[in-house]
Amino acid sequence: MRARLLGLPIGIAFGVVLSWSGMTSPDVIRGALLFEDSYLFLFFGSAVATASIGLLLLRRAGRVTWTPERIERRHITGSLIFGVGWGAADACPGPIMTQIGQGIVWGLPLLSGVLLGVYLFVRRSEETEPASEPAPLAAQRSIPGAA
Amino acid sequence: MLHPQLAWYVAGPALGLCVIAVRLLFNARLGVTGGYSEIVDRVRHGSLAFDWRAWLLFGVLLGGTLFALAAGGPDFHGYGWLTRDLDEVLVAPILVIAGVLIGYGAKTAGGCTSGNGLSGTAILSPASLAATATFFGTAIAINFLTRALF
Repeated sequence: MRARLLGLPIGIAFGVVLSWSGMTSPDVIRGALLFEDSYLFLFFGSAVATASIGLLLLRRAGRVTWTPERIERRHITGSLIFGVGWGAADACPGPIMTQIGQGIVWGLPLLSGVLLGVYLFVRRSEETEPASEPAPLAAQRSIPGAA
Repeated sequence: MLHPQLAWYVAGPALGLCVIAVRLLFNARLGVTGGYSEIVDRVRHGSLAFDWRAWLLFGVLLGGTLFALAAGGPDFHGYGWLTRDLDEVLVAPILVIAGVLIGYGAKTAGGCTSGNGLSGTAILSPASLAATATFFGTAIAINFLTRALF
């Protein structure tokens, strides 16, 4: 049970690195996406390479497993929507949190938008596929026939 | 950006190690959007018994705070080109809308820059590779478009 709290130190490391690498700043992200600065791509590429090598070695050692996902339409449509938001704000969900953590007030409209977007998605998926997950009690009351 | 950047060859691998730690500890992808989702889900149902994804998100927030304390302030003032080139009353609504697209889009795609971009591409998941190419391409196009327009 306590293991879930281990998310906290990993998150702290993640947040410090995102801040220290400048990813919190929309100017840094814009500079990268306009191909004026290569830092983001080197940073991102070396992160993926490190994770990839580490995970492949761990899998070979039998310590971890995973199943690659096949491409579905939602991966593309969702990423188009996400990309518009990311490109407009020049911030994605991790850096939005470090903005809040750094005390940047402009992070607040972003954060409220993200929470609203997630909420709208969850609401919509409950309406279209109410029985896909075992719904908690409060949700069962609001969905006729789910119980 | 007001503070010097950590060298990419230190910052990148450090981020990669976070992805490995999450796989070892929770047998899952490191995805920041999952934390937002977990909080929205729990709070809606009147619970605060958050799982590791929400704790990771709280950690990211705290990481930002620790950085700002150590660096003597936030990494930037204003909000990039938006507050430089646009009327300030427009900026908050634009950011709310951008946030909605970020949250809704990431949930639809099953991940954001960390879940699909970082963790999914690291295991060469076809869905994540397609998602990552799509959102990078889209975000690049949006930035060139806004630079041409404003």
